[in-house]
Amino acid sequence: MSLVTLDPGAGQAIRSLLSERGTQGTVRIEVQFTGCCDPSLGLIVDTVRESDLVEELDGLTFVISPETHQLVGEVRISCVDDAARKGFILTSSKPISEWDGFAAGSIKM
Amino acid sequence: MEQYKLFIDGEFVDAKDGKTFESIDPGTGLPFATVAQAGEADAEAAIAAARRAFDRGDWSGLDMAARIAKLQDFADQISRQGVRMVMTECMDVGQIVGYAKVIVMWSSLLLRNLAAYAATKFPLEEEVLASGNAFSPGREFVVREPVGVCVGIVPWNFPTTLAMWKIAPALIMGNTIVVKPASNTPLTALILAEAAKAAGLPKGVFNVLPGPGGRLGKTLCTHPDVDKVAFTGSTEVGREIMRMASDTVKRVTLELGGKSANIILDDADMDLAVEGAVFGTFLHQGQICESGTRVLVPSKIYDEFIDKMKKRAEALRIGYQLDPTSHMGPVVSKEQLATVEHYVKLGKEEGAEVITGGRRVEVKGREGGYYYAPTIFANVNNKMRIAQEEIFGPVVCVIKYDSDEEAVAIANDSIYGLAGGVFSNNIARAERVARGVRTGTMWINNFHVFAEYCPFGGYKQSGVGRELGHWGLEEYTQVKRIHVPYYSDRNTNFGFTLLSDNKKIDGFNYNCPTNVIAGHGCLSSIYKVIVDLGCRRALILTDPGVRKAGLADLVKNSLVDFCVGIYDNIPPDPDLESVDGATDKARELKADCIVSVGGGSVIDAGKVVCVALKSGGKANDYINRWYALSEPQTPHIVVPTTAGTGSEVTNLAVITNRTAGRKLFIADPKITPNAAILDPRFTMTLPKDMTVATAMDAMTHAVEAVMSIMANQICDGQAFQAIRLISENLPLVVADGKNETARLNMQIAATMAGWSFTVAQVGLAHAMAHTVGTLHHVPHGAACGIMLPKVMRFNVDHATGKLALVAQALGVDTKGMEERDAALAAADAVEALMAKVGHPMRLRDVGVPEEGLALCAFHALADSSTLFNARPTGDPGEILKLLQQAY
Repeated sequence: MSLVTLDPGAGQAIRSLLSERGTQGTVRIEVQFTGCCDPSLGLIVDTVRESDLVEELDGLTFVISPETHQLVGEVRISCVDDAARKGFILTSSKPISEWDGFAAGSIKM
Repeated sequence: MEQYKLFIDGEFVDAKDGKTFESIDPGTGLPFATVAQAGEADAEAAIAAARRAFDRGDWSGLDMAARIAKLQDFADQISRQGVRMVMTECMDVGQIVGYAKVIVMWSSLLLRNLAAYAATKFPLEEEVLASGNAFSPGREFVVREPVGVCVGIVPWNFPTTLAMWKIAPALIMGNTIVVKPASNTPLTALILAEAAKAAGLPKGVFNVLPGPGGRLGKTLCTHPDVDKVAFTGSTEVGREIMRMASDTVKRVTLELGGKSANIILDDADMDLAVEGAVFGTFLHQGQICESGTRVLVPSKIYDEFIDKMKKRAEALRIGYQLDPTSHMGPVVSKEQLATVEHYVKLGKEEGAEVITGGRRVEVKGREGGYYYAPTIFANVNNKMRIAQEEIFGPVVCVIKYDSDEEAVAIANDSIYGLAGGVFSNNIARAERVARGVRTGTMWINNFHVFAEYCPFGGYKQSGVGRELGHWGLEEYTQVKRIHVPYYSDRNTNFGFTLLSDNKKIDGFNYNCPTNVIAGHGCLSSIYKVIVDLGCRRALILTDPGVRKAGLADLVKNSLVDFCVGIYDNIPPDPDLESVDGATDKARELKADCIVSVGGGSVIDAGKVVCVALKSGGKANDYINRWYALSEPQTPHIVVPTTAGTGSEVTNLAVITNRTAGRKLFIADPKITPNAAILDPRFTMTLPKDMTVATAMDAMTHAVEAVMSIMANQICDGQAFQAIRLISENLPLVVADGKNETARLNMQIAATMAGWSFTVAQVGLAHAMAHTVGTLHHVPHGAACGIMLPKVMRFNVDHATGKLALVAQALGVDTKGMEERDAALAAADAVEALMAKVGHPMRLRDVGVPEEGLALCAFHALADSSTLFNARPTGDPGEILKLLQQAY
């Protein structure tokens, strides 16, 4: 099973955003908590750590800790840009919360 | 295992697609109930039921007493379910039983207490006593009405309490509601539904939809039949809900994340502070959004504090939540456990030091449970992610600081602003710190204290709106203003005249309550007048000239023991500072009444002093405000020493605002003086030029009042009599300033003109006089006199009959004249009178430069007096022509 899959356009959008912000670092998929009750999956520019699981995809390097991977399974990243939402939506084969896929986020630097 | 269903339209039903899910006991990791899982079709059905129920009106249309009675039944049914709810709450969320029993009991209390407040104290209907609109008087009131169909999205940490925070205010205020409990903890909301059904709440008023937020959220937050969404949960989801709700402009209240600072000051009781830090962080395993997860400790006590906090944390007993000896139970789910572990790992990587905890805990016999040790991070920098991001587990960051200011700055260095604490033995110091922190709640020497009458909600990204108390109830209402005018008449509606060529206003409100006492020696009446007003401590306001003339002392002597002082520093054209000076003196002397002895400047200053004395603050708080006062002001007695402004009976006060470079005014019936004493002895020494200028001010009041679109029969009568008295008596007092009879007649004329224009208003002559007064310092009366005949001719075809009558009042024999000719003769008669008494005739005579006329025209056009002029004008060119004629 792969670590991550990208919906059409997602890879290009990530590359563009990283380029805009002047970085080409590795993108980590991690558990993030944005307050009161429900964790979510998020993206952050980071370095590779020894224990990380790594996947090269669409010209990008994604890393995820083994613990997070075990918790959420395969992560799917899509990109939305419409009236309601703008950013990246992360869903996983084992949803981390009931709000899985509801909100769009950006990439932390 | 117990089985639970959805609650829609008063019935327990399976999901339309038949899906179910399991509720897990976090203390064991084992399922203990199955629950129907709602999908979009069920959400549609629940919203439709809530919509039908709201529109049917058998809940929203009930009067408050009937609704409260039904909700009291609901509260009783909740109480009947108490033990079951406590056990279920523990099993669902992992809350220790000692806490759950309090929380569940509170739900019933909350409903009863908020309902009682709404029924007895919440302003469902409020009068707006002072509307601020001088042009459309009438009854103004607001009623509070329900919003409609509400959606309440509840988090898992307090499934019963936070459901009730939404259900109670929504239902109390007459809304219907669809509640979506968290998927981790859906059960107690369904027990509440059982209670609602047993209490006989109408079908569809209360609906419960367990199911995944990711699947139901869009329907609930975008459905056009939903009027309001109340959400408690993550900032990320809340932000999305706000965006979604914006499409149909739903009301939204959000209670989101927090990273609250618990500030320990260096003078705090150490044991209390340690207990507050432990309680503020580890209660409910840290799964409380306002937990004090950043404990800020002064450097000089840091080591001691850490040591004591570590010992206290390690003494906490972690165990199964139904074990009554447990201090801490499990976190809610394996995902939450993983989140906590992730952040602890992150904290270590960032360089923070784990002092205690930082590991899972196994509870004997409950090996599958999600237990985690209370964890303290020391040496934390506030920029670290563990200090910036909410962890929502038993993890606390202890951060050093060196001053109160630095502590506040650290506390505020967060995207959140939900709550916080301060521990100190100096309450004043603690309150200063508390006020500096930008959060929705601050506790001093305490933490996690909620109360149903106290609001809860966040600053910054911690949310929008408030829950609980008056403020929480308000969120479930909308405000409707109802206006019922004095006049239901198309010809007495100032606004309607904007679309009509007929500008005349027919109806009127004559409210001129001043007690006028006139005649030689009537000053002695002041001794009785002040007693009738219930006053004993009068401060006399006057100006240096009047004081020097001995007039103020004459009044003082008449007041006998009721005068507490004389303030004689009111200048001509008083400014804000001089009014404030008088107010300060009145406060210092504890004056309960103001007696103004002087001309318009003194009387106007006195009016504003009366307002500031009664309503607090300074003069600047009240100027340039119309019809804003809702209650009687400090009693005001006036003894005029001029015969012109009419201020002794008007509802106006003009004060100079030097910052604005303008004279600004208050217009309000509540500033009308209580009594005016017209004793001619007080005007006998008025110099000739002042006598003439003030008389022409009064003449202009009277003539403009009769020409006004607001003219009416009462004011006309007063105005014509004033014109006649001035015409007859002004030459007499100019010839002989000691003619007391003529002086009294001039006083009475000025007062009658004052009554007339305070209701009927003035017009274009005043607009231009205000302008040349402000820009070129022309005395007001002189400017009025110069402009009045020009404006009379300008208005001749719009007030022909009135001006013809003015001519008669001025002594013109109009017999045999065409009406228009008679009207024009009135203007000639005014000029003849002016010439006779030596009044300046041209603007150049009073220092207005010709090149300044154009600017005067533009300023005059913007003066509110033009609104009432008989002949409508919006053309600065027309006004410039008048100014040129007067030049």
